[in-house]
Amino acid sequence: MYQLLLQQFLRTKTCQLGLALVLILGILSIITGKQFLLDQEKIASQVAAKQGEHIERNLELHGDDLPLLLYYLKFSLVSQPYPLAGLSIGQKDVNPSVQRVTILTLEGQKYDADLVNPTKLLYGNLDLSFIIVYLFPLLIIAFTYNLFSEEAESGTWKMVNTMAKSTIQFLLAKLIVRFLLLASVLLLLLVAGVLIMGISINGIFLLFTISSILYLIFWFVLCFWIVCLRRNSNFNALTLLSFWLILVILLPAFINNYLTNAYPIPEALSTMIKQRDGYHKKWDSEKRATMVKFYEDYPQLKHHGFPPEEGFDWPWYYAMQHLGDLESREESNAMQEKIRLREEMSRLCARFIPSLHIQLAHNDMAGTGLLQHMNFLALTTDFHKKTRLYFYPKIFGNESPESVNWQDFQPNQIQLRGEISWFTVLMPLLLSILLFSGLSAMQIRKDLRA
Amino acid sequence: MRREVLLLIARQFWANAFKSKAIYFLLGLTAVLLLYAAYSGFRYHEQNHFREGHQEMARESWESNPDKHPHRMAHFGTFAFRLKHPLSTFDFGIESFTGNAVFLEAHKQNTTNFSEASFSTSLIRFGELSMAMILQIILPLMIFFIGYAAIVADRENGTLKILLTQGTSWKEILYGKALGLAGISLLFYLPFVLIAVLMLALEEHATADDWTRLMVILITYLLYLVILSMITIVVSASSSTSKNALVKLLGLWLLLIVVLPRTAQSVGTYLYPTPTKLEFRSAIEEEVIQFGDSHDPDDPYYQSIKDSVLQVYNVQSTEELPFNYSGFQMFTGEKISAEIYKRHQGMLMQQYQKQNQLTKWLAVANPYLGIKSLSMSLCGTDLASYISFQLQAEDYRYQLAQTMNELQMKYIKANVASSEGQVNVVDAKEWKAFPDFSYQYPTVGQAIQNDALATASVLFWLLLCIGMMNHWSDKASAL
Repeated sequence: MYQLLLQQFLRTKTCQLGLALVLILGILSIITGKQFLLDQEKIASQVAAKQGEHIERNLELHGDDLPLLLYYLKFSLVSQPYPLAGLSIGQKDVNPSVQRVTILTLEGQKYDADLVNPTKLLYGNLDLSFIIVYLFPLLIIAFTYNLFSEEAESGTWKMVNTMAKSTIQFLLAKLIVRFLLLASVLLLLLVAGVLIMGISINGIFLLFTISSILYLIFWFVLCFWIVCLRRNSNFNALTLLSFWLILVILLPAFINNYLTNAYPIPEALSTMIKQRDGYHKKWDSEKRATMVKFYEDYPQLKHHGFPPEEGFDWPWYYAMQHLGDLESREESNAMQEKIRLREEMSRLCARFIPSLHIQLAHNDMAGTGLLQHMNFLALTTDFHKKTRLYFYPKIFGNESPESVNWQDFQPNQIQLRGEISWFTVLMPLLLSILLFSGLSAMQIRKDLRA
Repeated sequence: MRREVLLLIARQFWANAFKSKAIYFLLGLTAVLLLYAAYSGFRYHEQNHFREGHQEMARESWESNPDKHPHRMAHFGTFAFRLKHPLSTFDFGIESFTGNAVFLEAHKQNTTNFSEASFSTSLIRFGELSMAMILQIILPLMIFFIGYAAIVADRENGTLKILLTQGTSWKEILYGKALGLAGISLLFYLPFVLIAVLMLALEEHATADDWTRLMVILITYLLYLVILSMITIVVSASSSTSKNALVKLLGLWLLLIVVLPRTAQSVGTYLYPTPTKLEFRSAIEEEVIQFGDSHDPDDPYYQSIKDSVLQVYNVQSTEELPFNYSGFQMFTGEKISAEIYKRHQGMLMQQYQKQNQLTKWLAVANPYLGIKSLSMSLCGTDLASYISFQLQAEDYRYQLAQTMNELQMKYIKANVASSEGQVNVVDAKEWKAFPDFSYQYPTVGQAIQNDALATASVLFWLLLCIGMMNHWSDKASAL
């Protein structure tokens, strides 16, 4: 029976159009993902190539003056994406994946934006995750809304009624055929992704696949429930499209507006001014006071003592720079706290909305979410500190650039992923499936009794 | 076409629509969405308070500087905070993805940072709920829903035949129904008009230009709704069953609003690659270095300038010049590097515009893209408005740097090299004398000019729909 149902379905125009659309867009999405990965690789290799050149050029110009050299030298930290990021680009196109920082005030450097076309960001990426979250549900709706009503409306239902052992089993069989078809298309696209982007098949990829399939099942069950109400095609189409509209467009937008307004982040702007003033205004204040504050943070350097109040002094200069970070720390922490709050609230809301949940989960698995970027910023702070603490003693001790092995300052490469637990990824999806299966079962039982 | 017949059909369509409970539900839903969107827009716009506050804070900090060497002030710099246009309450456009604050200092063009998106989870990529978004995306769906059966249901139940035998023409039926449907969409639209007008009226800084913008916006959306009403009627007239009409319209909506825009933008971006940040910066740096390094006293390019200056003033060394030479050298350097930066930045922005061009051209085939683009321009939330902010901030930065260089040339002694300490300083009143940054929005004329294609596409679609209506008046059948 399954084979016949499949053949019958494949012959419909809806099926052919739908499959053609999803395959074309699926291929486009894989090209998009591949291009994204290539761009990221290009960025990383450019940073690597430039780093040596950059150090050499500045050594040539300022090779006899270590503090002056360090005023110019940038040290790089690169957050390399996993190939899985090609399937779910997330926020990785908004936030830069490279930090090139000097050992001057960090707060004035680490939020530097990348060069991206904001209009492109507005329209969003055509990645596979988009296809899964937006388009597959639409196909599921298009393939199932008249599962029952097409038979009723074309008059074949009575025939089914008399011939099939159980009409419910017949409807389920039709549903399963459609599910298997779409699941195979999804798997096909995932395999294409694996082959083209070089994604490794590991636990994370498995979770990515399983959660995506569960998301499809969620939509199938939701559609089945509406079908079980046995209304006409028009009613089904409109109701299901409304569900789609609410789950994929309205609710996410609703929540996003809420979060943006509930947690505005003026602290970002204050941080900017504070770090500038924290450093720059020290030019007009007593050198000793600046050094005292600096030595509070780094007592190991205290034995270098205090510079004369008249004239320029490099250790004092770097101390001033450090005070820029120090005096903006409160605002900077407040900003991070708010961002974390936004992140947590998003996750909390997403637990109840499968479309949001799967998107955030995909980004977590691919390492492309906001959380990963926050971690990247935190690592940048550590990296900056480590680099500073390496150079401070040399600056304070008046050492020459020759005392440094510059070969060691290749770009640091890191890869970031969120904490992923199978339970938190799968549970919300399973529960939503359970909910709509229950509703369908109740409806079926009601019909049988009637 | 007889006027009274048209009105009769329109009125009858209207009355029919109100027989079903669904329309009350849709009206209620629209009202809820509208109120929420208006409230969100209002709150989004309140970000301006933070930004104005910080602009003042930055200014105070700037003015509070004591007597100083001007080059210290050039590096002290200041900030430009991007203010949202009063009409950004209506259409958020690309604003959540553009930077909001930039540090302005000598020699260095910093990036505009802290976009809303950089603080957001990927939730923001699902889109935002604005008044414009409801009108562009949700309302079409409602119009399709209310109107999909307009003609085809009458055909299915035979009323069409009766109407035609009574002497009503096809044209009268089609235009009458379209009029009725447009009337209903107007009912949905009216609260948007009222709220938009009210919000602008309550905005203290609203100018005549803003009101012109709003008028154009409101008229454009009106045309958009009329276009959608006509499309609905044409599809209804050309479908065999009401189910077909509905499926066609829903498919059309998905294609035009969900699938096409993102695909077009992706393809556009793919076709016109942009440099990475590192490439962009290096290209500028290399070009600047070709001229010479203005901080390096032995640089050959600056050496030759120096020689000619010495010659003009007929002196042996820079110390004998009537002005501070290092100020002059930095003035020259700033001029060169700013020009080079501006050219590269301009090329980059042009490349962005090219990436967007495919989407803009597609407005000819997709009225949604036309209205989306035009609405953003008119609300001052499009790429062109953002570019204008960046240009103004850069101009201000340039003025700041050069004013400080001029002060250095004028007031700092010729033989002074260091900028440290309280010795070689300029009076603090000069800092106050340099005006604060104030952003000027582009005018409505510029906005429409920037988006001439979208304006044309809306008018084109209006004509196309009238053409289709007339075509189906001749071709449609009652069976």
